[in-house]
Amino acid sequence: MAAYFFQRLLQMIPTLFGVILLVFLLFNWVGGDPAYVLAGKFSNPEDIANIRRQLGLDQPLYIQFGIFLRQVLTFDYGLSWSTQEPVSHIFLTRLGPSIALLLPMLILETLIGIAIALAVAYVRDSWIDRALTLTTTAAMSISLLIYIIVGQYFFAFVLGWFPVQGWANHGQSWVRYAVLPILLGLAVSIAPAIRLYRTFILEEMGQDYVRTARAKGLSEMRVMLVHVLRNASIPIITNVLSSLPGLLIGAFLLERFFSIPGIGREVIMAVERSDFPVIKAITVSVAMATMVFNLLADLAYQWVDPRVKLS
Amino acid sequence: MGLCLCAGVRAEALDPPANRVLRIASSTAETTLDPVGIQDLYSAKLASVLFEGVLTYDYLARPAKLVPLLAERMPDITDGGKTWIIHLKKNIRFAPDPAFKGKDRTVQASDLAFTLYRLLDPALHSPFSFLLEGKLLGLDELAKRARESKQPFDYKAKIPGIEVIDEWTLRLRLNAPDANFGHALAQPNLGVIAPEVVAFYGEQIGSHPVGTGPYFVKRWVRGSAMTLDRNPHYRPRPWDFDAGKDPASVKVVEEMRGKMIPAIPRIEIKIIPEAQSAWLAFRRGETDLIDLPSKLSPVALSHGKLNPDLVKQGIQHEIAVEPEIIGNYLNLQDPMVGGMDPAHIALRRAILMSSDDEAMIRVIRKGQAVRLSYPVPPGVLGHDAKYKSMLPYDPVAANALLDGYGFKRAADGFRRQPDGSPLVVRYWRTNEGESRDMEELAKRGIDQLHIRFEGHAVPFPDLLKAERSCQVMMRQFAWIADYPDGDDFMQLFYGPNIHANNVFCFQDAEWDRLYQESVALGPGEKRDQLYQKMARMVEMYGVMKISHARLHHELLQAKVMGFHISTIASVAEWPYLDLR
Repeated sequence: MAAYFFQRLLQMIPTLFGVILLVFLLFNWVGGDPAYVLAGKFSNPEDIANIRRQLGLDQPLYIQFGIFLRQVLTFDYGLSWSTQEPVSHIFLTRLGPSIALLLPMLILETLIGIAIALAVAYVRDSWIDRALTLTTTAAMSISLLIYIIVGQYFFAFVLGWFPVQGWANHGQSWVRYAVLPILLGLAVSIAPAIRLYRTFILEEMGQDYVRTARAKGLSEMRVMLVHVLRNASIPIITNVLSSLPGLLIGAFLLERFFSIPGIGREVIMAVERSDFPVIKAITVSVAMATMVFNLLADLAYQWVDPRVKLS
Repeated sequence: MGLCLCAGVRAEALDPPANRVLRIASSTAETTLDPVGIQDLYSAKLASVLFEGVLTYDYLARPAKLVPLLAERMPDITDGGKTWIIHLKKNIRFAPDPAFKGKDRTVQASDLAFTLYRLLDPALHSPFSFLLEGKLLGLDELAKRARESKQPFDYKAKIPGIEVIDEWTLRLRLNAPDANFGHALAQPNLGVIAPEVVAFYGEQIGSHPVGTGPYFVKRWVRGSAMTLDRNPHYRPRPWDFDAGKDPASVKVVEEMRGKMIPAIPRIEIKIIPEAQSAWLAFRRGETDLIDLPSKLSPVALSHGKLNPDLVKQGIQHEIAVEPEIIGNYLNLQDPMVGGMDPAHIALRRAILMSSDDEAMIRVIRKGQAVRLSYPVPPGVLGHDAKYKSMLPYDPVAANALLDGYGFKRAADGFRRQPDGSPLVVRYWRTNEGESRDMEELAKRGIDQLHIRFEGHAVPFPDLLKAERSCQVMMRQFAWIADYPDGDDFMQLFYGPNIHANNVFCFQDAEWDRLYQESVALGPGEKRDQLYQKMARMVEMYGVMKISHARLHHELLQAKVMGFHISTIASVAEWPYLDLR
């Protein structure tokens, strides 16, 4: 187990290096010269040269790459070019609202998704199963943007059940502002989760061990919740853990529409402002988190099913 | 229990009642609140209530009028306009801050000198360094020395351009008379800051604004929300402005008579980037002011007037023309359309005459813009409302002009240069939606001239870079006033500003001479006459066709009093308001 763990960690190094190189090259080739934006309306060539020198953009590419590498290793990306705020501080302060939004969404999506998937798998091919398949297909065909625009208008403005925005309001808890965006996010993500988990569960229900369990006289409840669910949980865990790096990017549409000071909104602002230190830090962090959560998923397989051998 | 009650009482004592809080929505987030580092309008607005400069603009005067703020009176100008003596008010105190270590800190002339030095410190690369560049004796040399030696800027160096005479008096010596120097002293970027605050916060100074303005930052969630409270050290000023003959100003003066500045104890600002969210929040009464985005104008307005349902709710509506110019331009150094020979002047004029400005206003601005043709917009000193453009939208006349100058159509239906070489108009734009619509409209016009058209979309930094190296052939250009004087617009066409703001790469000795003359003259009839000549030359040479300026619609809840759209976008109206 430990050998496997360290082997996987070692494998991450070249992958991470590749990501860093790709991010660096993309920003240098496609991103344009930010000195022209930072210099302002009245800039002259001297001002632009001064800014390029201060940002290190006048250095050869290999030196700039070395600096970037060091920043990744020390997790010190310096200051945001547009706000002069330390990038690490941006991460620390914006991550909280994103997690507060996405974690409950992910937990609810998983729990509700599994519960409904188990129920419809149990009554598969019935009218309930077919109606749910139809509903989830329709729900998946509608864009998140529509859910947000209509949901905000109807539930917040017309019915007045929720505030339109105000997460960061002075002296007020963010909780009352989180409910509507969480529900709208859930409305979008629950449909594919139900479809996916239903497939995992149906596949397990056709296995011999389920027939054996029933033949032994176990209750349907026990067959479904203990035997089927346990075996279906490996792909479910994969799905859940692969969603976790998404917490680092945040749900930028929800954050923009509901004025939530999360990391997703920060990414969009950074792109609009050509704020490369912020974009680079978030891109590399998401790549790192993806690798770490993939490893955790593999380790979790063995925990859930001791028959799985990691090698 | 006792503790809880005490905390409750304390919070109540500190927090003003909800009906005394002004709630504002902004569509863009602030960047930095270090005055010298600010380049966006929203951050500048914030700085304008946190910091104070020597001068400011009269709240109601139109066109803009400079008035003293930190200065006791308007500067004494001697030596033919080359020496400015500034007398600061005594006992103006900075907002309390840990940087002052519990001491009460008053503004002194040395603080103002430090503020002026900072603007040119190369390490801070201020986007607004142009306000002082080339202006004060010895300051540019000091900045150059720091830049070239790569040593820190020497704030202790004595230069003839900035001289502290006593605690409250500063003498400034200019390289040459400059009638616009007062505008520089009124900009939020020259809000006075104390050296010990800069030293205390170091490179995080942009997150710790400490000034003498009417408000201070109570709470700040970066890029999302900010609470500003009345600065306890602020000396309240009486709300005393002359309404003149403007009926809207008269109403404002009546509302605000007898009040003090600032009247509102707390301002809460929320960043709401999406237009729908901002609109719904305003309609639900979650915010008190909204700068109506043009895409929402069909929802709120009909024929430029507020919809009756909003009027019934008591919503107030203020309109102003943005102090800006927007229009298509051509590059005079471009190998295809540039040059000062008659044929290429005619070509540029024909291209500009294909630009349908009315369609631009109707389709892209959704009717929320006014037609302009003069390079100085309304509300800015030097504007000429009677000016008639010589470049109307007239594709027939434009085609005749091209025919007359030998731009003949070839067998493929497209025109060629007089020497038979290819003729292609390359229109540059960024990747965002509105600029795509602008390209469509430009293409429609160029197609009518039977000239081949190519759209060229690039990221914004690349566009700026190409523009500054005279590689952009044609583009839609916009310029919003940095200070409310015609010079801010006319300098765009000045030859020595090529590779800087003169994106047209236009250079003409006669035009440059007239410009230099205008700078020395300052606002007035003589300068207006020069501007008229210069504006005509810009059209005559086919440099740019000024098309329009957008309308600024501000909607306010019924309870807001005293609002009048600021004459300059970077100065906030908030300290002048009150709530019913």
